[in-house]
Amino acid sequence: MRLTVESGRCRGHGLCYSLAPDLLEDDDDEGYVSVRGQVIDVPEDQVGHARNAAGSCPERAIELIEN
Amino acid sequence: MTSTAEGDQIPGRATGGCPVIHLDASPPLEAGSHWAKANELRETSPAFFNTHAQGYWVFTRYDQVREMYQHPEIFSSESITPWEPEPVYRFVPTQIDPPEHSKYRQLVSRWFAPNAVQRVAPQAHEIAQRLVADLAARGGCDFVSDFAMRLPTEIFLTIIGVPGSDADLFVPWVEDFFAGFGGDLDQQQAMGAALGGIRQYWVDVLEARRGEAEPRENDLASLLMHSVVDGEPLGDVLTLDILTVLVLAGLDTTRGQLGYLFRHLADHPEDRQRLSAEPELIPSAVEESLRLYTIIFGDGRKVTEDTDFHGCPLRKGDMVYGLVSGANRDPRVYDRADEFVIDRKANNHLGFAGGPHRCLGSHLARMIMQVAVEEWLKVIPDFQVATDEPLMERGGGAMLALFTLPLSWDVRS
Repeated sequence: MRLTVESGRCRGHGLCYSLAPDLLEDDDDEGYVSVRGQVIDVPEDQVGHARNAAGSCPERAIELIEN
Repeated sequence: MTSTAEGDQIPGRATGGCPVIHLDASPPLEAGSHWAKANELRETSPAFFNTHAQGYWVFTRYDQVREMYQHPEIFSSESITPWEPEPVYRFVPTQIDPPEHSKYRQLVSRWFAPNAVQRVAPQAHEIAQRLVADLAARGGCDFVSDFAMRLPTEIFLTIIGVPGSDADLFVPWVEDFFAGFGGDLDQQQAMGAALGGIRQYWVDVLEARRGEAEPRENDLASLLMHSVVDGEPLGDVLTLDILTVLVLAGLDTTRGQLGYLFRHLADHPEDRQRLSAEPELIPSAVEESLRLYTIIFGDGRKVTEDTDFHGCPLRKGDMVYGLVSGANRDPRVYDRADEFVIDRKANNHLGFAGGPHRCLGSHLARMIMQVAVEEWLKVIPDFQVATDEPLMERGGGAMLALFTLPLSWDVRS
């Protein structure tokens, strides 16, 4: 699985990186997720956290790409 | 709250077939009534035209409310109160639209970012421990006034760099302000006096920092005095506006949300026990309370252009009201939408709004609520509502809040 965050949609709710702290982190400044606009690989043991993070985003900014 | 169906016709007004209602959400009601009303409206129609005040549209379902938040170019924050399309006040940055909005929001956003909030978490725990210890021996309290208002106020004042003990001043001001803000005309004078008190407090804070060459460390007022927007100093007027808005937006809301969460815990021993045994569930319990017990009955926006919105013929200047309380319990989005699911996954509630105006203080509010539950349950693991009278909630004209929440518990000897 891969994951991407649409940069224009992220508004810094902060749920994704609190629910998947080993996968995502904040930008250390205003609370946006740090990987906006990127595609990252989701390790096998993080798939559940990634799904919860994506489902919790009120902006629907996180897209999961199944392999 | 009474609402009367008025068919689907209003003279001189095209409603696109939307049902017409007359709904005034401002009177106080028995606790929970506003969510029941939102449920009823949502399952009747995705949109209504409400003839209350000058008339405005009401969107009841999750997708439409989220869409409203995500399109500020159509749904402006120039007014956020649907029955007040031409407000005499202007909250900054709350009522500023993009692109100007981010210039002002950035001045304060890092103070309330996750890292900044985590830095004050140890102090927040200390404040909560002190308040709980003071209450524990009493065997009971009014949770709303004795804890839910006091805790966020002290933490907020600490984070922005003024004495936490000034909560003694802010608690009654915030109480008086919101008593009037919901539309109670008898309270208007007290509301004005409270607003005057808050502003004067900040005027004095600014005077005490006037002429200093460098901003003080960990002092928001001082930082704002040294801030520049578009090459110009922010100035006293905007600085006062921003500081006042933070007080009004941050304290009453957290108080309201804490009241409903602790009423739930008082009524649900199994959830109390679970959180005591598994404190790692506290964050998801807090999120669930923000969803199920949202204090935002609805949120207003002003339409910027003539447009069709899911069949509603909106006209420029119309007001719309996104029923957040309806959205957060929308069964199209949530399984067991009317239940408190303590470990709910994928909880994408709109309790902190969405889009560019996403609640600036959401990270702080979450931290305060989590600290409150953790520190309270450590000392007072069992407690109950100490009245047989129905609890009452403030109307949805401002934010929903329990007026009182009498709790009692056995005092450990």
